Amino acid sequence: MLSLLALSAVLATNAPAYFVPADDDQVLQRVPTIADPRVRHMESLRALHERRPQDLEAALALARAYLDYGRGTGDARYLGRAEAVIEPWLRLATPPLDVSLVHATILQSRHDFDAARAQLEALLQRDPGNDQAWLTLASVQLVQGEPEAARRSCARLIGGPDALAALACLAAVNMVNGRAADAYESLARIVGRAPPAAPQVRAWTEGLLADAARSLGHDALAERHFQAGLQAAPGDNFLLADYADLLLDLGRNGEALALVKDYSASDTSFLRQVLAEQRLGLPQAQADAAQMAARFADEARRGSRLYLREQARFVLEVERDPARALALAQDNWRSQRAPEDARLLLAAALAADQPAVAAPAVALVERTHLEDPRVRELLRRLRRAQDGAP
Amino acid sequence: MRAIARWRLVLLCAAALAPAAWAHKESDSYLRLRPDPADGRRLLGQWDIAIRDLAFVLPLDANGDGAVTWRELKAQRQAIERYALAHLSIRGDGLVCPIRASDQGVAEHSDGAYDVIVFEARCDKDTPQKLTLAYDLFADVDPYHRAIVRYSAGQRTINDVLGPQHASVTLDLRHPQRLRQFWDFVVDGLWHIWTGPDHLLFVTSLLLPAVLVCRRRPRAWGDAGDWQPVTGFWPAAWELIKVISGFTVSHSVTLTASVLGYVDLPSRLVESGIAASVMVAALNNLHPLVTRRAWLVAFGFGFIHGLGFASALAGLSLPPAAMALALGGFNLGVELGQESVVLPLLAIAYLLRGTAFYRRGVLRGGSALIAGLAALWLVQRALDWNVPALRFLTPG
Repeated sequence: MLSLLALSAVLATNAPAYFVPADDDQVLQRVPTIADPRVRHMESLRALHERRPQDLEAALALARAYLDYGRGTGDARYLGRAEAVIEPWLRLATPPLDVSLVHATILQSRHDFDAARAQLEALLQRDPGNDQAWLTLASVQLVQGEPEAARRSCARLIGGPDALAALACLAAVNMVNGRAADAYESLARIVGRAPPAAPQVRAWTEGLLADAARSLGHDALAERHFQAGLQAAPGDNFLLADYADLLLDLGRNGEALALVKDYSASDTSFLRQVLAEQRLGLPQAQADAAQMAARFADEARRGSRLYLREQARFVLEVERDPARALALAQDNWRSQRAPEDARLLLAAALAADQPAVAAPAVALVERTHLEDPRVRELLRRLRRAQDGAP
Repeated sequence: MRAIARWRLVLLCAAALAPAAWAHKESDSYLRLRPDPADGRRLLGQWDIAIRDLAFVLPLDANGDGAVTWRELKAQRQAIERYALAHLSIRGDGLVCPIRASDQGVAEHSDGAYDVIVFEARCDKDTPQKLTLAYDLFADVDPYHRAIVRYSAGQRTINDVLGPQHASVTLDLRHPQRLRQFWDFVVDGLWHIWTGPDHLLFVTSLLLPAVLVCRRRPRAWGDAGDWQPVTGFWPAAWELIKVISGFTVSHSVTLTASVLGYVDLPSRLVESGIAASVMVAALNNLHPLVTRRAWLVAFGFGFIHGLGFASALAGLSLPPAAMALALGGFNLGVELGQESVVLPLLAIAYLLRGTAFYRRGVLRGGSALIAGLAALWLVQRALDWNVPALRFLTPG
């Protein structure tokens, strides 16, 4: 009888899962529009590349435009599109340096940090003066929880053509290395010198300033920086997520919801929306949580690790399944070891009542002198839980 | 000029150091396949491709307003099908199964709207044993595109993820699964008998007199008549074989006819008929009308029991070969279930046949009990009247 039940379940899911819209004018999907200057720029580079497929410079320009657009809109599809453009050169025994660099950036963006690092180290063997490769390497080292190695990479920029880049690089390291005050100061100096027409840089530096302010416990200051960043780059995926987290931490759930609710297509924004809805006890919380779970399930089906951090947090805070959250946080820790990842592993280990599992995060926090008050608080609670244990 | 050069580097700095916060997953398409239950040569498929991905290679957004409408999608239906179907091939046992799109629709997935290509693939060979999918959609524009493939046939589902590194897959649809499926149905048949006492009591009623010979029929109710034990084992065994065979032949006919949809009687009628058959068979032992040809009773009522068995397979829909296998397996299970009860029973009856206990207690007493129980079922089923206290006597 059981097999018959299973059979009918299978037959039921085989029913066609599609519909035919009744209204011809129903909008099915938003797509990039040529009204957007970034899209026009991309399209002209794409046309050029199609006319001259052998032209390396044209291909690189297009690949970089795809990466910039993908980063700006949060659309990860552009990573693959960029890689397809440089693919013929990747097949060479020694790809051109710029091709390797673009490829390393793609690998890093897809969270394939080990491969990105190997690619960058090989590239720097061939071209030790490549500033952008050093910068990218520093960022991979930061994500992998090695700020000291990142500091050495940043140091390679000192005395180079631009002191400003070295300063920004070192500030990013100091942020997670017990010197958030220094980081804040040097970043503030960079922002002061920024030309008005660089919204991307502005969004990034304001975001970093906000993070630095949070590390120092100045939440009101952090909020001002988030707002300034969003003014420069409205809808910036990264700023929205971080600002919403600040509001959620402060218990301002309604404001957090208002901030992200128009960006529910973005998984990172949607996660904050679901968190806010749940805390406010809104009726749609359950349906949206199911939708979020479906997105993670689709992600897992393709074998992707892009959202492990978000998924672990979702399972911990929304589904309240500490054991599974801890397993995800541990899996995430294998590739990402930034402060947020440490915070997540600590919180999951505490909730699952397995403080010992968070040992690698504890070691990292101690070694790097991470100041973030939220991480410090978790660490205190973890110690108490450990001391209290028989 | 120098200031601009400086800023270019800081810009790179931002690009390199800012953590990437991706809004949604990379590109997937969803490809689902199943055999057509009505035609073993045909595969039915549904292929969902993200509108976002199609818009990257085809001019979907005709008016360039950044929104793809159903009208715009419909207008590009042919172009979409031509583009997509050129990047998918299906082979059955090595031979190409040409794909024909039959409908267009829309599906909502977790990351947006997808164009749906409904298609069928027609293979030369009936029910291929090996199905090979080769997939290279978007391989030239996005190496991280993946196809989430799901093949389902009956109880079996095969999942796979195709992409440039793993661009084709061969699904083995052969015997391991067939055998497995056959065995599953055998088990279903067994359970159906073991958990359905009405069928067993019917056969039992017919067999109780098999170890006896009726010398004189009872003249009135309460008169036991004259039953004598059979002299040898073989007459009893022969009687058993005839009864079981008669029952098997007829219930197989109606089971098959019913599952294939040729016969459709209301279940209340069928269930009441089964209860009535049990009652008649038991009463016949108390006041025999038929003594020599019990197998005819088995054969006759077998038709209605077959319809009852079919309820366990209601809604089953499989390709012909698998259907034959399923029916065969289920029938075999029903037979095994019967034999497992009837053979030990016959052995005991044969040993006890000479005792008065058997003739009075078992044959008369047992039959009276069965007749009473069956009468209760008949009332319950015919009138749809459930006596809660007697639920444990009611076959599920």
